[in-house]
Amino acid sequence: MAPVVALRGEVMAKLTSQVTAPVEVPPQAWRFDVFARWPRLKRLVQMRSFQFLVIVPNLLLFYLFLIAGLFGTPVGNKNIIIVFVWILWWVVLIALMVPFGSRVWCTMCPLPFFGDWLQRRAVVKVRPGKSPGTANTFFGLHKRWPKSLSNIWLQNFGFLLLATFSALLVTRPIVSAMVFGLLILIAAIMALVYRLRTFCNYVCPISGFLSLYSMTSAVELRSVDKEECLKCKSKACIRGSDKGWACPWNIYMGKLDRNNYCGLCFECVKSCPNDNISLFVRPFGTSDVVLRGYDEVWKACIMLVLALTYSVMLLGPWGRFKDWANISEAHDWSGFGLFATGQALLALVIFPGLYYLSIRLAKWYARADAVPTKELFLKYAYMLVPMGLLAWIAFSVPLLMVNGSYIISVISDPLGWGMDLFHTADFPWKPLRPEWVPFVQAPILLAGLYFGLKGLHKVGCQLFPDAAQRHRSLVPPAVLLLGVTAVFLKLFVG
Amino acid sequence: MAVILVLLGLPLLLWYWRSDALVHRYPPGTKIINLTAIAHGGIWTREEIAGLNYWWKKPTRATEIPLNEGDHVVVRLHSVDVLHSFAIPLLHLGPVDVPAGHTVEVKFNADRPGVLTFLCWQVCSPDHPGLHGRFLVKGGEPEESW
Repeated sequence: MAPVVALRGEVMAKLTSQVTAPVEVPPQAWRFDVFARWPRLKRLVQMRSFQFLVIVPNLLLFYLFLIAGLFGTPVGNKNIIIVFVWILWWVVLIALMVPFGSRVWCTMCPLPFFGDWLQRRAVVKVRPGKSPGTANTFFGLHKRWPKSLSNIWLQNFGFLLLATFSALLVTRPIVSAMVFGLLILIAAIMALVYRLRTFCNYVCPISGFLSLYSMTSAVELRSVDKEECLKCKSKACIRGSDKGWACPWNIYMGKLDRNNYCGLCFECVKSCPNDNISLFVRPFGTSDVVLRGYDEVWKACIMLVLALTYSVMLLGPWGRFKDWANISEAHDWSGFGLFATGQALLALVIFPGLYYLSIRLAKWYARADAVPTKELFLKYAYMLVPMGLLAWIAFSVPLLMVNGSYIISVISDPLGWGMDLFHTADFPWKPLRPEWVPFVQAPILLAGLYFGLKGLHKVGCQLFPDAAQRHRSLVPPAVLLLGVTAVFLKLFVG
Repeated sequence: MAVILVLLGLPLLLWYWRSDALVHRYPPGTKIINLTAIAHGGIWTREEIAGLNYWWKKPTRATEIPLNEGDHVVVRLHSVDVLHSFAIPLLHLGPVDVPAGHTVEVKFNADRPGVLTFLCWQVCSPDHPGLHGRFLVKGGEPEESW
């Protein structure tokens, strides 16, 4: 009987593969093992003190920023918290760190430092032990975060809320200081109550958009051989060991296939008993193309809409919009209400509605009754991710070109107290080639369109074996993406 | 330990700069007066205006600032909002621009008793007319007054 069963199994497998496998299987993307090429880098991240050493300079700067926000000048462009955070850090984060380093900011972020400290009662060393679900000793209540909140909705609403008050946040030192101070406090309290980095995973508004846009990144931390992970009994990557802490992001490397929720703390590289975790370079923009929940789709919509409203408000020539957003000086509460409501409606209802419409059209036009609308809605949404990231970069680069000279001045007088540490305190405001701004923005936007369409096509290949049906299904969302690009181009280039 | 050192060290360093290093920039005996211009309400104030108090506290107006005859005075001028301008017409001092966030210094010698009016020299806001005050220089003979 056994050969018959085997034969039947073989036939069934063949039949199944014919039914389910796409005709056009996208080729396996290349990836380059960084740790194999440069073992010294691996040894560096395996040092127990590595993360502490990269956090400390940021912690020091962050502390200076908080002091400057509270006790420095209230004039934003002469206060280091505004100039360094919202001009320098923001541009470096969105234009360099995310595309080329994934969530490398999370490696060095000072916000959860005190929370980690309270939870581990250690800065560098590891405490082996048996705290529930781990092989380490953690302090605090070590509770589980509610399942209903185990998504990025809180981060979505948190970021939208911050964006609503962004005119204050990015110009008023005290507002920035209060927001960052509050985030540190919340992170510390949550670390005492909940296990691991619940704050980073589910609450931090910065982490929310980093999770989305890190999908596009040209680097990833993954296991070298997934089979090895399946054989591994200790699961030290997620549970920890005497060499490394349990993954603060609660990730099992054997199943990790997207960058979204990996904070690149490299604890798994330290703790893996099989030396099976490495850092890889991979193609930009089209490696992780799967959004797995409505929370992630809405995050993509919110971020894209905010890139648009920020561009209108901060770069556009419409003074009335600026006054509406700038509530602390204009005191136009009805205008502010209109702005806040309009922005929220656009981000939460109108744009997702347009996207949903494009999906319904795609389904109708492709006659794709076999593919559920939900699946199409979730999977095609990836096109918004590279588009959103590059729209943010197109918005942010001019910030540095136009206002970068404030950095030179504020380095000498970080608090606006009249210091002149490096004799550059009176360096004048000098925009860097402002006439080039549209020529910088347009190619970036077009690159966003290219990677968006490329991602869309890749997902289409996975969903539709038939090329004609696939192409028909791609048309409506691609038209929407073209429309978005046209709106941005009109705004930036005129 | 390193973290604690940082947490304590940075404020100490800044406090040292404000309390000691700044004073030693000038010759001994120099009278240093900080004046900050605020457009809203038209106020010159001697209070320190920082992120912490700017948005909720109305500062005290520096209407009269006492000096003694013979004082060497350095006025450190600040603006927390718009471009202001400072002048003491009787001394032909200024007008000097005081851009927002910058610190501008003017120096003079109070070598006669009397009253020196200072003011914002350019229309900076609807409350601009309020931006004035007086240095009251005491001592010496009244006939030597300005």
